[in-house]
Amino acid sequence: MTAATTTPASTRQPSAVAGAGLTMLRLLRLELRHNAMAWALPVAIGLFWLITYRKDMAMPPMWSLRTAGLQSGAVLDFAIPVTGAAAWMGSREVHRRVADQVTTTARARWARLLVPWAATTIWAMMAYLGCVAVLYGVTAHQAGWGGPLWWPAGVAAASLPAFSALGFVIGAFLPSRFTPPLAAIAAFFIIALSTELIHGGQSPWQVSPIVTGPWDLSPQAGVATFYPFLPDLSIAQVMLLAGFTLALLGVLALPAGSGSRTARAVAAGVTGAGLLAAGTAAGLTGTGTMDAHGMIKIPALHDAAADRPLQFTPVCSRTAIPVCLNPAYASYLPVTANALAPMLSQLAGLPGAPAKLVQVSVSFQQDAREGMIVRTDGLRRGGPQPAVYLVLPDQLAGPAMTSEQAAGQLVAAYDPRLVARVTGDGPAASPAQNAVAAALLLAVGQGKLTTDQPPTTQGRIDPGQSPGVAPGTAEYAAAERFAALPEAERRAWLLQHLTALRAGKITLAQLP
Amino acid sequence: MTGARLVRLYAVGRRVPFAVLGIAACAIGLRLALLGHWDDYGALQLPLLFEAAAAVSVVATVASPFGEQERAAGRWLPLLRPAVTVALTAAAIGLLSAAGTGAHLAGGVLDVLRNIAGITGIGLLCAGALGGGLAWTGPLGYLVAAVYALYTLWHPPALTTPWLWPARPPHDLGGALCAGLVFTCGVAVLTVRGARDRPGDPAEA
Repeated sequence: MTAATTTPASTRQPSAVAGAGLTMLRLLRLELRHNAMAWALPVAIGLFWLITYRKDMAMPPMWSLRTAGLQSGAVLDFAIPVTGAAAWMGSREVHRRVADQVTTTARARWARLLVPWAATTIWAMMAYLGCVAVLYGVTAHQAGWGGPLWWPAGVAAASLPAFSALGFVIGAFLPSRFTPPLAAIAAFFIIALSTELIHGGQSPWQVSPIVTGPWDLSPQAGVATFYPFLPDLSIAQVMLLAGFTLALLGVLALPAGSGSRTARAVAAGVTGAGLLAAGTAAGLTGTGTMDAHGMIKIPALHDAAADRPLQFTPVCSRTAIPVCLNPAYASYLPVTANALAPMLSQLAGLPGAPAKLVQVSVSFQQDAREGMIVRTDGLRRGGPQPAVYLVLPDQLAGPAMTSEQAAGQLVAAYDPRLVARVTGDGPAASPAQNAVAAALLLAVGQGKLTTDQPPTTQGRIDPGQSPGVAPGTAEYAAAERFAALPEAERRAWLLQHLTALRAGKITLAQLP
Repeated sequence: MTGARLVRLYAVGRRVPFAVLGIAACAIGLRLALLGHWDDYGALQLPLLFEAAAAVSVVATVASPFGEQERAAGRWLPLLRPAVTVALTAAAIGLLSAAGTGAHLAGGVLDVLRNIAGITGIGLLCAGALGGGLAWTGPLGYLVAAVYALYTLWHPPALTTPWLWPARPPHDLGGALCAGLVFTCGVAVLTVRGARDRPGDPAEA
């Protein structure tokens, strides 16, 4: 006889909370399968490709530029599909004529409505994250230095629940076949119009999620390249969007019959807190100012550690005089080095020639009268191994240029200055100095003999520059004669006589 | 008499009066917007927003509240569907053109005609593919693409394909042909098939 154990069979009953969770998950799965956002995804992804991806790929592979393009582009691309789909889902009970049926279910109305909102948001978020993964993946493959900036991507991500909540609330309260398209257009209109309200550098409207930096300053390659990215504005934008989302979702539970009295009181509190957060975000943005590095600094959100410059090892060319750029600009190096190489070959080894050309950052200043001012330090003289400080045209607030245009501007800006540095050319220079400077420019194919200012402050001409050599003068004739010499002969003469030339002891007649 | 009653019932069932109200609201909105002073972006992009809103108001009427029963019983449907849609499109063009009279409406009447007809055509094609309830996705997606195409007029490289006709000049033949073709195809799909109402699809409010 064997003793039978009488242990009762273990029938594990799920707890009430776990059961409710499972039910919600099952509901969410059903909503995901029958969600209108799934049908709107091709529109959102198509718009992302047309507007954001193509535009970003046309930019240089720099994280600062492409991330700014991602944020403003993705917000606009997803605004209409997400708001429209959410409005359709919000009004679905009326579309399907099941409002009375679902009213009799045990679950509170607000809890029931949150599930399709969540499903809509999840579909939109999955599509957005896929788009970001592709864009960032390609950029990571192309970019020579740096890493993805997550805050701007986070702002665009935070806009999705907000658009979804906006559309859902409009759809739930104004159910009609006309509601989804009109709600979507309204959202797009508001987003696009929000930038029209930005006036001046301290506008609270800069909290609009399509704004990525000071509104008067177009996205700059140099921003967040020499100094860390400032997330101040992004934090305020995320706060605004999260606040709006909470406020809108709270509104769902406010009408009578949406839930218990406690639930409605909590919803009112959530709505109030959301509005407070959104208002605070706008207020904080209004206190922000543009810092010298072209980003918005909000005192209450600012981390002083972000003011320290980034450490990097420059990438240098193999030209006679190396051209060294920030590694983020590595893709610019071949064009830059090729553009300057002829002149650098002429000057390498001569007394006064720079040891290298080093790229430096620019500083930005917002002026009430003159608008945006971009300042550079231009040429600086160093110690025993002097370097010329270089600013690329793309670092300046100007129109977009092709690489050929940028190279041309660079040569026109820097060749005369490099020559002047070696020959001692300037307002007080002797005719021979002017002629030699002009000859060196002629020798590298620059027919224009008047010197140009490097791209400094708003294109103002530096009065310290040479007045140039006019055709028909004795100086011009001497310049042509000197430029016609073989390079080796010209170089040998310069090595021998440059010191005397710089001292003003050489006359035009003494030039070969 | 029966025909008039049928048209009235069809119009009421498709919420045509609401569509007319929506179009009228778009016309009023456009008129008010034209009173303001806008930069070049706003002057070109704002009318397009109202034109698209009017077009989706037209497209929203193609969803059937009766589904399969109406399909089976309504032999006048292939005539009613295009007739009402074309009439609404013409009303939208007329009202928005009237709203721009005496104001600086960028592109003028030709722009309004081309844009509303073309965007409505996109909506009708979407209704045939996705159903009346989601027919707005195509026109509104197109709206964003067109707004971007207008933006690229100042920020090259410009999107100059005639398929993005709102970014083409009003007298551009390619843009007009594309818009006209899309509208014609949309009306043809609507006439033959109507909006894609799946079997058992519940009614549209």
